[in-house]
Amino acid sequence: MLTALARIPSIRAGRLGFLALSLSYLMLVVVCLGSLAREDELSLGRNPLTNLIKTASEFARPSFVDVWLGNPRLEYRSDDGTLLRVENRQQVEADYLAGLGRATWTTLRIATLGSLLGALLGLPLAVLTARNLGAPKPLAWLAKGTLDSARAIHTLVFGLVLVGIVGLGPTAGILAIGLHSMGSYGKLFAEAIESLDMAAIDAVRSVGASPMQVFFNAVWPSVLPQFVSSHLYIWEFNIRDSTILGLIGAGGLGLLITEATALFQWGRLATVLLVVIALVVSFDALSRRIREALS
Amino acid sequence: MTTQTSIALEAVLCAAAGRELLRVDQLHIAPGERVAIVGHNGAGKSTLLRLLSGFMPLTHGQLTVLGHALDKPLPASALRQLRREVGQVLQGLHLVARLSALDNTLIGSLSRVTGWRSWLRHYPAHEVARAESALHAVGMLARAQTRADRLSGGERQKVAIARLLMQGPRLILADEPTAALDPAAAAEVCQLLVRAADNATLITVVHTPTLLPLLADRVIGLKQGRIAFDLPVAAVDDTRLMSLYRPDQDAMHMPWQLPEHCARALGEATS
Repeated sequence: MLTALARIPSIRAGRLGFLALSLSYLMLVVVCLGSLAREDELSLGRNPLTNLIKTASEFARPSFVDVWLGNPRLEYRSDDGTLLRVENRQQVEADYLAGLGRATWTTLRIATLGSLLGALLGLPLAVLTARNLGAPKPLAWLAKGTLDSARAIHTLVFGLVLVGIVGLGPTAGILAIGLHSMGSYGKLFAEAIESLDMAAIDAVRSVGASPMQVFFNAVWPSVLPQFVSSHLYIWEFNIRDSTILGLIGAGGLGLLITEATALFQWGRLATVLLVVIALVVSFDALSRRIREALS
Repeated sequence: MTTQTSIALEAVLCAAAGRELLRVDQLHIAPGERVAIVGHNGAGKSTLLRLLSGFMPLTHGQLTVLGHALDKPLPASALRQLRREVGQVLQGLHLVARLSALDNTLIGSLSRVTGWRSWLRHYPAHEVARAESALHAVGMLARAQTRADRLSGGERQKVAIARLLMQGPRLILADEPTAALDPAAAAEVCQLLVRAADNATLITVVHTPTLLPLLADRVIGLKQGRIAFDLPVAAVDDTRLMSLYRPDQDAMHMPWQLPEHCARALGEATS
Protein backbone atom coordinates (compact mmCIF):
# COMPACT_ATOMS: atom_id res chain seq x y z
CA MET A 1 0.00 0.00 0.00
CA LEU A 2 2.71 2.41 1.06
CA THR A 3 4.96 1.50 -1.83
CA ALA A 4 2.05 1.79 -4.27
CA LEU A 5 1.38 5.33 -3.04
CA ALA A 6 5.03 6.22 -3.26
CA ARG A 7 5.20 5.09 -6.84
CA ILE A 8 2.28 7.08 -8.28
CA PRO A 9 3.88 10.57 -8.16
CA SER A 10 7.04 9.36 -9.83
CA ILE A 11 5.07 7.82 -12.70
CA ARG A 12 2.95 10.94 -13.00
CA ALA A 13 6.04 13.16 -12.96
CA GLY A 14 7.61 11.00 -15.67
CA ARG A 15 4.49 11.20 -17.84
CA LEU A 16 4.09 14.93 -17.21
CA GLY A 17 7.72 15.40 -18.14
CA PHE A 18 7.20 13.56 -21.40
CA LEU A 19 3.98 15.48 -22.10
CA ALA A 20 5.77 18.79 -21.51
CA LEU A 21 8.58 17.69 -23.80
CA SER A 22 6.12 16.71 -26.55
CA LEU A 23 4.24 19.99 -26.17
CA SER A 24 7.39 22.08 -26.44
CA TYR A 25 8.40 20.11 -29.53
CA LEU A 26 4.98 20.72 -31.06
CA MET A 27 5.30 24.43 -30.26
CA LEU A 28 8.71 24.58 -31.92
CA VAL A 29 7.24 23.03 -35.09
CA VAL A 30 4.33 25.49 -35.06
CA VAL A 31 6.68 28.47 -34.57
CA CYS A 32 8.92 27.32 -37.42
CA LEU A 33 6.00 26.84 -39.80
CA GLY A 34 4.16 30.00 -38.72
CA SER A 35 7.15 32.35 -38.94
CA LEU A 36 8.16 31.03 -42.35
CA ALA A 37 4.57 31.40 -43.58
CA ARG A 38 4.42 34.98 -42.33
CA GLU A 39 7.64 35.84 -44.11
CA ASP A 40 5.97 34.33 -47.22
CA GLU A 41 8.83 31.86 -47.62
CA LEU A 42 6.67 28.78 -48.03
CA SER A 43 5.57 29.28 -51.62
CA LEU A 44 5.92 26.45 -54.14
CA GLY A 45 6.74 28.64 -57.11
CA ARG A 46 4.44 29.64 -59.96
CA ASN A 47 3.37 26.36 -61.50
CA PRO A 48 4.86 23.54 -59.47
CA LEU A 49 2.76 20.81 -61.03
CA THR A 50 3.80 21.37 -64.66
CA ASN A 51 7.41 21.82 -63.57
CA LEU A 52 7.24 18.59 -61.63
CA ILE A 53 5.82 16.67 -64.56
CA LYS A 54 8.40 18.12 -66.94
CA THR A 55 11.34 17.35 -64.64
CA ALA A 56 10.03 13.88 -63.82
CA SER A 57 9.55 13.00 -67.48
CA GLU A 58 13.14 14.04 -68.25
CA PHE A 59 14.36 12.08 -65.23
CA ALA A 60 12.46 9.06 -66.51
CA ARG A 61 14.67 9.01 -69.61
CA PRO A 62 18.26 8.86 -68.30
CA SER A 63 20.77 10.11 -70.87
CA PHE A 64 22.63 6.79 -71.16
CA VAL A 65 19.80 5.15 -73.15
CA ASP A 66 20.81 7.45 -76.01
CA VAL A 67 23.95 5.36 -76.46
CA TRP A 68 21.62 2.90 -78.22
CA LEU A 69 18.47 4.92 -78.96
CA GLY A 70 20.01 8.30 -79.79
CA ASN A 71 19.83 9.88 -83.22
CA PRO A 72 23.12 9.10 -85.01
CA ARG A 73 22.64 12.13 -87.32
CA LEU A 74 21.13 14.97 -85.29
CA GLU A 75 21.22 18.01 -87.55
CA TYR A 76 21.49 21.53 -86.19
CA ARG A 77 20.17 24.09 -88.67
CA SER A 78 19.91 27.85 -88.54
CA ASP A 79 16.55 29.61 -89.01
CA ASP A 80 17.02 29.85 -92.77
CA GLY A 81 17.64 26.14 -93.06
CA THR A 82 21.42 25.98 -93.59
CA LEU A 83 23.03 22.98 -91.96
CA LEU A 84 25.27 24.19 -89.10
CA ARG A 85 26.61 20.86 -87.84
CA VAL A 86 25.68 17.21 -87.47
CA GLU A 87 25.94 15.48 -84.13
CA ASN A 88 26.07 11.73 -83.46
CA ARG A 89 24.02 11.53 -80.25
CA GLN A 90 25.13 7.93 -79.67
CA GLN A 91 28.81 8.95 -79.81
CA VAL A 92 28.26 11.98 -77.54
CA GLU A 93 26.53 9.92 -74.86
CA ALA A 94 29.12 7.14 -75.11
CA ASP A 95 31.84 9.75 -74.49
CA TYR A 96 29.85 11.09 -71.55
CA LEU A 97 29.62 7.58 -70.08
CA ALA A 98 33.38 7.15 -70.41
CA GLY A 99 33.86 10.46 -68.60
CA LEU A 100 31.40 9.29 -65.96
CA GLY A 101 33.49 6.15 -65.47
CA ARG A 102 36.62 8.22 -64.91
CA ALA A 103 34.77 10.51 -62.49
CA THR A 104 33.49 7.49 -60.54
CA TRP A 105 37.04 6.20 -60.24
CA THR A 106 38.18 9.62 -58.96
CA THR A 107 35.38 9.70 -56.38
CA LEU A 108 36.22 6.19 -55.23
CA ARG A 109 39.89 7.11 -54.85
CA ILE A 110 39.06 10.28 -52.88
CA ALA A 111 36.74 8.36 -50.55
CA THR A 112 39.19 5.49 -50.03
CA LEU A 113 42.25 7.60 -49.30
CA GLY A 114 40.24 10.14 -47.28
CA SER A 115 38.75 7.37 -45.13
CA LEU A 116 42.14 5.82 -44.50
CA LEU A 117 43.52 9.23 -43.54
CA GLY A 118 40.58 9.79 -41.18
CA ALA A 119 41.09 6.37 -39.57
CA LEU A 120 44.81 6.97 -39.06
CA LEU A 121 44.18 10.41 -37.56
CA GLY A 122 41.27 9.16 -35.44
CA LEU A 123 43.00 6.14 -33.84
CA PRO A 124 45.50 7.97 -31.60
CA LEU A 125 42.80 10.46 -30.58
CA ALA A 126 40.48 7.53 -29.74
CA VAL A 127 43.18 5.98 -27.56
CA LEU A 128 43.48 9.31 -25.73
CA THR A 129 39.71 9.72 -25.23
CA ALA A 130 38.79 6.12 -24.29
CA ARG A 131 37.84 6.37 -20.62
CA ASN A 132 39.16 2.93 -19.61
CA LEU A 133 42.70 3.62 -20.83
CA GLY A 134 43.09 6.57 -18.46
CA ALA A 135 45.08 9.03 -20.56
CA PRO A 136 46.12 12.28 -18.78
CA LYS A 137 43.04 14.50 -18.36
CA PRO A 138 44.25 17.60 -20.31
CA LEU A 139 45.31 15.42 -23.23
CA ALA A 140 41.98 13.57 -23.17
CA TRP A 141 40.04 16.85 -23.23
CA LEU A 142 42.16 18.20 -26.04
CA ALA A 143 41.63 15.02 -28.05
CA LYS A 144 37.89 15.03 -27.37
CA GLY A 145 37.65 18.69 -28.37
CA THR A 146 39.49 17.97 -31.61
CA LEU A 147 37.21 15.03 -32.43
CA ASP A 148 34.02 16.97 -31.60
CA SER A 149 34.98 19.96 -33.74
CA ALA A 150 36.06 17.69 -36.60
CA ARG A 151 32.61 16.05 -36.47
CA ALA A 152 30.80 19.36 -36.21
CA ILE A 153 32.42 20.93 -39.29
CA HIS A 154 30.98 19.62 -42.55
CA THR A 155 33.23 18.02 -45.18
CA LEU A 156 32.17 20.74 -47.60
CA VAL A 157 33.40 23.51 -45.28
CA PHE A 158 36.73 21.75 -44.82
CA GLY A 159 36.88 21.36 -48.60
CA LEU A 160 36.23 25.03 -49.32
CA VAL A 161 39.00 26.07 -46.92
CA LEU A 162 41.41 23.44 -48.24
CA VAL A 163 40.84 24.36 -51.89
CA GLY A 164 42.17 27.79 -50.93
CA ILE A 165 45.26 26.17 -49.44
CA VAL A 166 46.17 23.22 -51.68
CA GLY A 167 44.28 24.29 -54.79
CA LEU A 168 41.60 22.54 -56.85
CA GLY A 169 41.71 18.78 -57.26
CA PRO A 170 41.42 15.50 -55.42
CA THR A 171 44.02 16.43 -52.75
CA ALA A 172 41.62 18.95 -51.24
CA GLY A 173 38.87 16.29 -51.31
CA ILE A 174 41.00 13.65 -49.64
CA LEU A 175 42.12 16.03 -46.88
CA ALA A 176 38.56 17.32 -46.35
CA ILE A 177 37.14 13.81 -45.99
CA GLY A 178 40.03 12.75 -43.77
CA LEU A 179 39.62 15.70 -41.41
CA HIS A 180 35.85 15.40 -41.08
CA SER A 181 35.66 11.62 -40.74
CA MET A 182 38.51 11.68 -38.20
CA GLY A 183 35.83 12.83 -35.75
CA SER A 184 33.51 9.91 -36.47
CA TYR A 185 36.38 7.40 -36.48
CA GLY A 186 37.69 8.68 -33.16
CA LYS A 187 34.28 8.37 -31.53
CA LEU A 188 33.59 4.84 -32.85
CA PHE A 189 37.12 3.58 -32.11
CA ALA A 190 36.93 4.96 -28.56
CA GLU A 191 33.62 3.15 -28.05
CA ALA A 192 35.19 -0.09 -29.31
CA ILE A 193 38.09 0.31 -26.90
CA GLU A 194 35.72 1.10 -24.02
CA SER A 195 33.75 -2.13 -24.58
CA LEU A 196 36.92 -4.23 -24.35
CA ASP A 197 36.62 -7.83 -23.18
CA MET A 198 38.34 -7.67 -19.76
CA ALA A 199 38.01 -11.43 -19.21
CA ALA A 200 40.19 -12.04 -22.26
CA ILE A 201 42.80 -9.60 -21.00
CA ASP A 202 42.85 -11.29 -17.56
CA ALA A 203 43.12 -14.69 -19.22
CA VAL A 204 46.25 -13.68 -21.14
CA ARG A 205 47.74 -11.78 -18.20
CA SER A 206 47.24 -14.81 -15.95
CA VAL A 207 49.91 -16.80 -17.81
CA GLY A 208 52.47 -14.04 -17.23
CA ALA A 209 52.30 -12.47 -20.68
CA SER A 210 54.14 -9.21 -21.36
CA PRO A 211 52.13 -6.04 -22.10
CA MET A 212 52.81 -6.39 -25.84
CA GLN A 213 51.68 -10.02 -25.74
CA VAL A 214 48.51 -8.98 -23.91
CA PHE A 215 47.86 -6.32 -26.53
CA PHE A 216 48.33 -8.62 -29.52
CA ASN A 217 46.63 -11.70 -28.04
CA ALA A 218 43.70 -10.17 -26.15
CA VAL A 219 43.14 -6.48 -27.00
CA TRP A 220 43.73 -6.67 -30.75
CA PRO A 221 41.47 -9.69 -31.48
CA SER A 222 38.61 -8.15 -29.51
CA VAL A 223 38.76 -4.64 -31.01
CA LEU A 224 39.73 -5.56 -34.58
CA PRO A 225 36.24 -6.63 -35.79
CA GLN A 226 34.72 -3.42 -34.43
CA PHE A 227 37.47 -1.34 -36.00
CA VAL A 228 36.95 -3.00 -39.38
CA SER A 229 33.19 -2.64 -39.11
CA SER A 230 33.44 1.09 -38.26
CA HIS A 231 35.94 1.57 -41.07
CA LEU A 232 33.63 -0.01 -43.65
CA TYR A 233 30.68 1.98 -42.36
CA ILE A 234 32.42 5.36 -42.57
CA TRP A 235 34.09 4.44 -45.85
CA GLU A 236 30.66 3.82 -47.36
CA PHE A 237 29.43 7.10 -45.88
CA ASN A 238 32.43 8.87 -47.44
CA ILE A 239 31.67 7.47 -50.89
CA ARG A 240 28.31 9.23 -50.65
CA ASP A 241 29.93 12.31 -49.18
CA SER A 242 32.66 12.58 -51.83
CA THR A 243 30.03 12.76 -54.60
CA ILE A 244 29.19 16.23 -53.32
CA LEU A 245 32.83 17.38 -53.15
CA GLY A 246 32.94 17.99 -56.88
CA LEU A 247 30.81 21.05 -56.16
CA ILE A 248 33.86 22.78 -54.76
CA GLY A 249 36.20 21.63 -57.49
CA ALA A 250 37.60 18.50 -55.91
CA GLY A 251 36.68 16.56 -59.04
CA GLY A 252 34.80 13.31 -59.42
CA LEU A 253 31.08 12.68 -59.67
CA GLY A 254 30.22 15.90 -57.88
CA LEU A 255 31.58 17.91 -60.78
CA LEU A 256 29.23 16.11 -63.19
CA ILE A 257 26.31 16.65 -60.78
CA THR A 258 27.05 20.38 -60.65
CA GLU A 259 27.32 20.51 -64.43
CA ALA A 260 24.06 18.66 -65.02
CA THR A 261 22.09 20.73 -62.52
CA ALA A 262 23.52 24.02 -63.81
CA LEU A 263 22.41 23.16 -67.37
CA PHE A 264 19.08 21.62 -66.26
CA GLN A 265 20.08 18.34 -67.94
CA TRP A 266 17.89 16.10 -65.79
CA GLY A 267 18.49 13.10 -68.02
CA ARG A 268 22.21 13.29 -67.41
CA LEU A 269 21.68 13.94 -63.70
CA ALA A 270 19.58 10.76 -63.63
CA THR A 271 22.46 8.82 -65.19
CA VAL A 272 24.96 10.18 -62.64
CA LEU A 273 22.61 9.50 -59.72
CA LEU A 274 22.05 5.93 -60.93
CA VAL A 275 25.81 5.42 -60.80
CA VAL A 276 25.96 6.88 -57.26
CA ILE A 277 23.14 4.60 -56.13
CA ALA A 278 24.76 1.54 -57.73
CA LEU A 279 28.07 2.43 -56.09
CA VAL A 280 26.59 2.84 -52.62
CA VAL A 281 24.37 -0.25 -52.85
CA SER A 282 27.15 -2.52 -54.06
CA PHE A 283 29.60 -1.21 -51.46
CA ASP A 284 26.96 -1.72 -48.76
CA ALA A 285 26.38 -5.33 -49.86
CA LEU A 286 30.12 -5.98 -49.89
CA SER A 287 30.77 -4.42 -46.50
CA ARG A 288 27.84 -6.28 -44.94
CA ARG A 289 29.35 -9.55 -46.13
CA ILE A 290 32.71 -8.65 -44.64
CA ARG A 291 31.14 -7.55 -41.35
CA GLU A 292 29.13 -10.77 -41.10
CA ALA A 293 32.23 -12.85 -41.75
CA LEU A 294 34.05 -11.00 -38.97
CA SER A 295 31.39 -11.06 -36.26
CA MET B 1 62.44 -23.67 1.46
CA THR B 2 60.55 -23.92 -1.80
CA THR B 3 61.02 -27.66 -1.75
CA GLN B 4 59.19 -27.83 1.58
CA THR B 5 56.42 -25.31 1.05
CA SER B 6 54.65 -24.27 -2.06
CA ILE B 7 52.64 -21.62 -0.27
CA ALA B 8 53.13 -20.04 3.14
CA LEU B 9 50.88 -17.47 4.80
CA GLU B 10 51.80 -15.92 8.16
CA ALA B 11 49.46 -13.49 9.92
CA VAL B 12 47.95 -12.38 6.62
CA LEU B 13 45.29 -9.68 6.53
CA CYS B 14 43.61 -8.55 3.37
CA ALA B 15 41.22 -5.62 3.42
CA ALA B 16 39.58 -3.59 0.70
CA ALA B 17 37.45 -0.46 1.01
CA GLY B 18 37.60 -0.66 4.83
CA ARG B 19 36.19 -4.19 4.89
CA GLU B 20 38.19 -7.13 6.15
CA LEU B 21 38.10 -9.79 3.44
CA LEU B 22 40.53 -12.37 4.77
CA ARG B 23 42.52 -12.97 7.97
CA VAL B 24 44.74 -16.04 8.15
CA ASP B 25 47.09 -16.67 11.08
CA GLN B 26 49.04 -19.48 9.51
CA LEU B 27 48.65 -21.65 6.44
CA HIS B 28 51.20 -23.87 4.73
CA ILE B 29 50.62 -25.87 1.60
CA ALA B 30 53.27 -28.34 0.48
CA PRO B 31 54.23 -28.99 -3.15
CA GLY B 32 51.99 -31.54 -4.82
CA GLU B 33 49.17 -31.15 -2.31
CA ARG B 34 45.55 -31.30 -3.43
CA VAL B 35 43.62 -28.66 -1.51
CA ALA B 36 39.96 -27.73 -1.79
CA ILE B 37 38.59 -24.50 -0.35
CA VAL B 38 34.94 -24.39 0.67
CA GLY B 39 32.80 -21.66 2.17
CA HIS B 40 29.82 -19.41 1.57
CA ASN B 41 29.81 -16.50 -0.91
CA GLY B 42 32.00 -13.70 0.41
CA ALA B 43 33.88 -15.99 2.79
CA GLY B 44 37.17 -14.99 1.20
CA LYS B 45 37.77 -17.93 -1.16
CA SER B 46 38.32 -15.87 -4.29
CA THR B 47 40.30 -13.30 -2.29
CA LEU B 48 42.69 -16.05 -1.23
CA LEU B 49 43.18 -17.20 -4.83
CA ARG B 50 43.67 -13.64 -6.08
CA LEU B 51 46.30 -13.07 -3.37
CA LEU B 52 48.17 -16.17 -4.49
CA SER B 53 48.20 -15.16 -8.16
CA GLY B 54 49.30 -11.62 -7.35
CA PHE B 55 46.13 -10.06 -8.75
CA MET B 56 45.37 -8.53 -5.34
CA PRO B 57 47.77 -6.99 -2.82
CA LEU B 58 47.70 -8.01 0.84
CA THR B 59 47.36 -5.43 3.59
CA HIS B 60 49.52 -7.02 6.32
CA GLY B 61 51.52 -10.15 6.93
CA GLN B 62 53.84 -12.44 5.06
CA LEU B 63 52.99 -14.42 1.98
CA THR B 64 55.32 -16.64 0.00
CA VAL B 65 54.22 -18.32 -3.21
CA LEU B 66 56.67 -20.65 -4.98
CA GLY B 67 59.57 -18.84 -3.34
CA HIS B 68 58.34 -15.35 -4.31
CA ALA B 69 57.68 -13.05 -1.35
CA LEU B 70 54.40 -11.22 -2.02
CA ASP B 71 54.40 -8.99 1.08
CA LYS B 72 55.19 -5.92 -0.97
CA PRO B 73 53.91 -5.35 -4.49
CA LEU B 74 56.27 -7.14 -6.86
CA PRO B 75 57.87 -5.34 -9.79
CA ALA B 76 56.02 -6.12 -13.02
CA SER B 77 58.68 -8.47 -14.37
CA ALA B 78 58.81 -10.53 -11.14
CA LEU B 79 55.02 -10.70 -11.10
CA ARG B 80 55.02 -12.02 -14.67
CA GLN B 81 57.66 -14.56 -13.64
CA LEU B 82 55.38 -15.75 -10.84
CA ARG B 83 52.29 -15.92 -13.04
CA ARG B 84 54.14 -18.10 -15.54
CA GLU B 85 54.39 -20.70 -12.80
CA VAL B 86 50.81 -20.28 -11.62
CA GLY B 87 48.08 -21.72 -13.82
CA GLN B 88 44.53 -20.43 -13.42
CA VAL B 89 41.14 -21.84 -14.29
CA LEU B 90 38.27 -19.52 -13.41
CA GLN B 91 34.52 -19.87 -13.68
CA GLY B 92 32.86 -18.64 -16.84
CA LEU B 93 34.79 -17.58 -19.91
CA HIS B 94 38.41 -17.17 -18.89
CA LEU B 95 39.54 -17.36 -22.52
CA VAL B 96 39.93 -14.92 -25.39
CA ALA B 97 36.43 -15.14 -26.84
CA ARG B 98 37.37 -14.40 -30.42
CA LEU B 99 40.32 -16.79 -30.70
CA SER B 100 40.06 -20.46 -31.57
CA ALA B 101 40.47 -23.23 -29.00
CA LEU B 102 43.94 -23.91 -30.44
CA ASP B 103 45.03 -20.26 -30.19
CA ASN B 104 43.71 -20.12 -26.62
CA THR B 105 45.71 -23.22 -25.77
CA LEU B 106 48.81 -21.68 -27.34
CA ILE B 107 48.48 -18.70 -25.00
CA GLY B 108 49.90 -21.09 -22.39
CA SER B 109 53.19 -21.03 -24.30
CA LEU B 110 53.62 -17.23 -24.24
CA SER B 111 56.33 -17.45 -21.58
CA ARG B 112 58.46 -19.53 -23.95
CA VAL B 113 57.55 -17.82 -27.23
CA THR B 114 58.68 -14.20 -27.24
CA GLY B 115 59.08 -11.31 -29.65
CA TRP B 116 57.22 -10.82 -32.90
CA ARG B 117 56.17 -14.48 -33.13
CA SER B 118 53.98 -14.10 -30.05
CA TRP B 119 52.54 -10.82 -31.39
CA LEU B 120 51.46 -12.29 -34.72
CA ARG B 121 50.38 -15.57 -33.06
CA HIS B 122 52.86 -17.31 -35.35
CA TYR B 123 53.95 -20.08 -33.00
CA PRO B 124 56.81 -22.50 -33.70
CA ALA B 125 55.72 -25.89 -35.05
CA HIS B 126 56.73 -27.82 -31.94
CA GLU B 127 54.56 -25.56 -29.74
CA VAL B 128 51.59 -26.05 -32.10
CA ALA B 129 52.13 -29.81 -31.97
CA ARG B 130 52.28 -29.63 -28.18
CA ALA B 131 49.07 -27.57 -28.07
CA GLU B 132 47.34 -30.11 -30.29
CA SER B 133 48.39 -32.95 -28.02
CA ALA B 134 47.17 -30.93 -25.03
CA LEU B 135 43.79 -30.49 -26.74
CA HIS B 136 43.81 -34.21 -27.53
CA ALA B 137 44.46 -34.98 -23.86
CA VAL B 138 41.30 -33.12 -22.84
CA GLY B 139 39.31 -34.56 -25.76
CA MET B 140 38.99 -31.26 -27.63
CA LEU B 141 41.19 -31.82 -30.68
CA ALA B 142 38.15 -32.07 -32.97
CA ARG B 143 37.08 -28.57 -31.85
CA ALA B 144 40.56 -27.02 -32.17
CA GLN B 145 39.49 -24.48 -34.80
CA THR B 146 36.23 -23.49 -33.07
CA ARG B 147 36.14 -20.05 -31.52
CA ALA B 148 36.08 -19.97 -27.71
CA ASP B 149 32.77 -18.10 -27.53
CA ARG B 150 31.08 -20.83 -29.60
CA LEU B 151 32.09 -23.59 -27.18
CA SER B 152 29.85 -24.94 -24.41
CA GLY B 153 30.66 -24.26 -20.76
CA GLY B 154 32.30 -27.66 -20.24
CA GLU B 155 34.30 -27.35 -23.47
CA ARG B 156 35.58 -23.94 -22.41
CA GLN B 157 36.90 -25.34 -19.14
CA LYS B 158 38.56 -28.19 -21.04
CA VAL B 159 40.33 -25.63 -23.27
CA ALA B 160 41.42 -23.75 -20.14
CA ILE B 161 42.87 -27.04 -18.82
CA ALA B 162 44.65 -27.62 -22.14
CA ARG B 163 46.15 -24.14 -21.69
CA LEU B 164 47.35 -25.29 -18.23
CA LEU B 165 49.01 -28.32 -19.81
CA MET B 166 50.75 -25.97 -22.26
CA GLN B 167 51.84 -23.64 -19.48
CA GLY B 168 53.20 -26.42 -17.23
CA PRO B 169 52.71 -24.49 -13.96
CA ARG B 170 53.96 -25.58 -10.52
CA LEU B 171 50.80 -24.27 -8.87
CA ILE B 172 47.26 -24.48 -10.21
CA LEU B 173 44.49 -22.24 -8.88
CA ALA B 174 40.96 -23.19 -9.92
CA ASP B 175 38.12 -20.88 -8.88
CA GLU B 176 34.81 -22.75 -9.16
CA PRO B 177 35.85 -24.44 -12.41
CA THR B 178 32.63 -26.48 -12.41
CA ALA B 179 30.19 -23.60 -11.87
CA ALA B 180 27.19 -23.86 -14.22
CA LEU B 181 28.23 -27.31 -15.50
CA ASP B 182 26.00 -30.38 -15.37
CA PRO B 183 27.16 -33.14 -12.95
CA ALA B 184 28.69 -35.34 -15.66
CA ALA B 185 30.65 -32.47 -17.22
CA ALA B 186 31.69 -31.26 -13.75
CA ALA B 187 33.13 -34.68 -12.85
CA GLU B 188 34.96 -34.87 -16.18
CA VAL B 189 36.45 -31.40 -15.77
CA CYS B 190 37.58 -32.30 -12.24
CA GLN B 191 39.29 -35.49 -13.41
CA LEU B 192 41.08 -33.61 -16.21
CA LEU B 193 42.11 -30.90 -13.76
CA VAL B 194 43.64 -33.41 -11.34
CA ARG B 195 45.44 -35.11 -14.22
CA ALA B 196 46.78 -31.73 -15.40
CA ALA B 197 48.06 -31.10 -11.87
CA ASP B 198 50.22 -34.24 -11.93
CA ASN B 199 53.42 -32.34 -11.15
CA ALA B 200 51.84 -29.35 -9.46
CA THR B 201 50.08 -28.15 -6.37
CA LEU B 202 46.33 -27.90 -6.94
CA ILE B 203 44.08 -25.49 -5.07
CA THR B 204 40.41 -25.56 -6.02
CA VAL B 205 37.41 -23.59 -4.83
CA VAL B 206 34.30 -25.77 -5.01
CA HIS B 207 30.71 -25.64 -3.87
CA THR B 208 29.71 -29.22 -4.66
CA PRO B 209 30.51 -31.60 -1.76
CA THR B 210 30.40 -34.67 -4.03
CA LEU B 211 33.36 -33.33 -6.02
CA LEU B 212 35.60 -32.94 -2.94
CA PRO B 213 37.03 -36.50 -2.96
CA LEU B 214 37.81 -36.16 -6.68
CA LEU B 215 39.73 -32.92 -6.28
CA ALA B 216 41.37 -32.89 -2.87
CA ASP B 217 43.17 -34.67 -0.08
CA ARG B 218 42.82 -31.69 2.21
CA VAL B 219 39.83 -29.39 2.69
CA ILE B 220 40.02 -25.86 4.09
CA GLY B 221 36.74 -24.34 5.25
CA LEU B 222 36.51 -20.56 5.20
CA LYS B 223 33.88 -18.63 7.12
CA GLN B 224 33.68 -14.85 7.12
CA GLY B 225 37.28 -14.43 6.08
CA ARG B 226 38.77 -16.88 8.59
CA ILE B 227 39.79 -20.52 8.44
CA ALA B 228 37.03 -22.53 10.16
CA PHE B 229 38.65 -25.94 9.64
CA ASP B 230 41.59 -27.52 7.87
CA LEU B 231 41.09 -31.28 7.62
CA PRO B 232 41.88 -34.32 5.49
CA VAL B 233 39.05 -34.92 3.03
CA ALA B 234 38.00 -38.13 4.81
CA ALA B 235 37.24 -36.18 7.98
CA VAL B 236 34.96 -33.70 6.26
CA ASP B 237 31.31 -34.63 6.56
CA ASP B 238 28.01 -32.92 5.96
CA THR B 239 27.83 -31.42 9.45
CA ARG B 240 31.21 -29.76 8.95
CA LEU B 241 30.13 -28.32 5.64
CA MET B 242 26.73 -27.27 6.97
CA SER B 243 28.43 -25.35 9.79
CA LEU B 244 30.09 -23.16 7.18
CA TYR B 245 26.86 -22.25 5.49
CA ARG B 246 24.71 -21.99 8.65
CA PRO B 247 24.28 -18.48 10.05
CA ASP B 248 25.95 -17.58 13.34
CA GLN B 249 24.08 -18.15 16.59
CA ASP B 250 24.06 -14.43 17.45
CA ALA B 251 22.15 -13.72 14.28
CA MET B 252 19.42 -16.14 15.31
CA HIS B 253 17.72 -13.95 17.91
CA MET B 254 16.47 -11.68 15.16
CA PRO B 255 14.46 -14.21 13.19
CA TRP B 256 12.94 -11.68 10.75
CA GLN B 257 16.35 -10.62 9.51
CA LEU B 258 18.03 -12.58 6.76
CA PRO B 259 21.38 -14.09 7.71
CA GLU B 260 24.14 -11.87 6.39
CA HIS B 261 25.46 -14.25 3.79
CA CYS B 262 21.95 -14.94 2.44
CA ALA B 263 21.29 -11.22 2.16
CA ARG B 264 24.62 -10.75 0.41
CA ALA B 265 23.94 -13.63 -1.94
CA LEU B 266 20.51 -12.15 -2.72
CA GLY B 267 22.08 -8.77 -3.30
CA GLU B 268 24.62 -10.26 -5.70
CA ALA B 269 21.90 -12.16 -7.52
CA THR B 270 19.68 -9.14 -8.01
CA SER B 271 22.37 -6.54 -8.72
